[in-house]
Amino acid sequence: MFSDHTAAKDAGATIIVEALERVYSSGLRAVDGVNLAVAAGEIYGFLGPNGAGKSTTVRILTTLLRPSGGRARVAGYDVVEQASQVRRSIGVALQEAALDPLMTGRELLELQGALHGLRRAESKLRADELLERVDLAPAADRLLNTYSGGMRRRLDLAMALVHRPDVLFLDEPTTGLDPVSRASLWSELRRLNEEGTTIFLTTQYLEEAEQLADRVGIIDHGKIVAEGTPQDLGRLVGEPGLYVKLIDQSQCDLARQLLAVHGAVSDREAGGLTIRTALGARAIAPIVRTLDEAQIEVDAVEVEEPTLDDVFLAVTGHRAEDVAGGEQS
Amino acid sequence: MSALALERDPATQARVIVALAKRALRVQLRRAQFLLPSFLLPLLLLAVVASGTSAAQNLPGFPATGSYVGFVVSGTIMQGTLLAGLMAGIAIAGDIEGGFFDRLLSAPIHRASIVLGRVLGTALIGVVQAILFLAVALLMGADFQGGVVGVVLTVMLAALSASAAAGLGATIALRTGSLSLMQNLFPFVFVLLFTAPAFFPRALLNPVLEAISGVNPLSYVVEGMRAALFDSPALGSVWGGFTAGIASVALTCALAVWAMRSRVRS
Repeated sequence: MFSDHTAAKDAGATIIVEALERVYSSGLRAVDGVNLAVAAGEIYGFLGPNGAGKSTTVRILTTLLRPSGGRARVAGYDVVEQASQVRRSIGVALQEAALDPLMTGRELLELQGALHGLRRAESKLRADELLERVDLAPAADRLLNTYSGGMRRRLDLAMALVHRPDVLFLDEPTTGLDPVSRASLWSELRRLNEEGTTIFLTTQYLEEAEQLADRVGIIDHGKIVAEGTPQDLGRLVGEPGLYVKLIDQSQCDLARQLLAVHGAVSDREAGGLTIRTALGARAIAPIVRTLDEAQIEVDAVEVEEPTLDDVFLAVTGHRAEDVAGGEQS
Repeated sequence: MSALALERDPATQARVIVALAKRALRVQLRRAQFLLPSFLLPLLLLAVVASGTSAAQNLPGFPATGSYVGFVVSGTIMQGTLLAGLMAGIAIAGDIEGGFFDRLLSAPIHRASIVLGRVLGTALIGVVQAILFLAVALLMGADFQGGVVGVVLTVMLAALSASAAAGLGATIALRTGSLSLMQNLFPFVFVLLFTAPAFFPRALLNPVLEAISGVNPLSYVVEGMRAALFDSPALGSVWGGFTAGIASVALTCALAVWAMRSRVRS
């Protein structure tokens, strides 16, 4: 049973995870004591590099994998003891949209409807509705092997929505997508969330978490190492950075001295300077003015958004390179 | 209806099985690499056996069936259904490796429905194969004294044979989850086929093969087909064929469901 403490703390939470563990037969501890709670209607971003334990956690929460220890409840049901009820309450779109290339979009949606207990007529109606919703109606009767990556992802999402789930699990939903497809999927996810769906998404992109998530958990070596709003996590990196590229690199020393009044200045390996300042983008004009007055020509000034790698470095002390050993499923 | 009730509701699960069978049938018939071994290869072997070894019907003890092609077509049906079963296993392994299987597992359906959907789809393929192969045999001069009833019984036995083969294919696929291993099982289909009296009567097999064929349930199914097609109890027992077929389906499907449970528990 869940501890009274957790139950009290997370009353009303749609996803509750307590001391969750998964140890593979190889001895790899993919999930190592994860605790988290996701409120109803929330978008929770689960960030981490490959092999950190994201997908294993999602597989446990979606009943595809049994935990080695700990407990998890989704939509009020225990993922081990009430797996059937959990499956009825959730929509799942796993990594790399697993879709049969020899079926059409419509056939797949109707099959998904049947799998979730919809009758034939209801299933057909729902398929039409979802094809319209994800802009796939014109391609509905084409085989999947003619779909682009973005179209496959949209269909994958539509399939996860067939039975109007309370909770949606998305495992790296935009990995490999072009920026337009990514933005389109983000917009659809926001719309779903506004309609009341709780969303648990894993991602390797801090930008994605910032765009979508109300709260973010960072997982590393199977443990949650940081949790908070995207803004909280961004602040862990420190002050925002401005990258200044000069036309004449030999003026870097002079520029460094002059710009010290605006913030902490450091050299970039690839040339140019980085100035860390609490003003962020608002410091661009004074910086350019300072350099202009000294007749130092500026090639470019860019605001540097903190990346997942930066947050990782700040939180764990190491880079977010792939974790050796990787995840198993 | 609650999730648990849906999972236990026979009508809901019947709809799930039919939907999965439709998918199996539809996708397999769209896959060129499936059509070749399941339909074309048995027909080629039928043509080769019927013309190349037709002198066998002159051997003492060879039953009188009018034409040799009429005798061997049961073996062709058996070959086709075994290959369809193997392809069912390959399809399941492909689903496991490609991730589609996770989609099925994350749906609120009874685990046995996933196996039974694939088995039903393969049984339907067995029906199509039997009708096609019998039609070709008729065009090649076969004469079935059992008439329409004999043909219908043979098609039903083909469905059972395909179901049993699909159950076996599913068991191996679910135990191993390996597409490459499934693809390498192709030669074993011929071991099963040639240790049953598929193309020759059991009495003309050498003593070792004859003894093995006695414990191969496919022997009773193929002989049951012949008995039905020629309305001749001397060629085998129709009910013996049904008994062996139904027992094989029950056993292989039970093994497949057990393999499924082991996979899900891991």
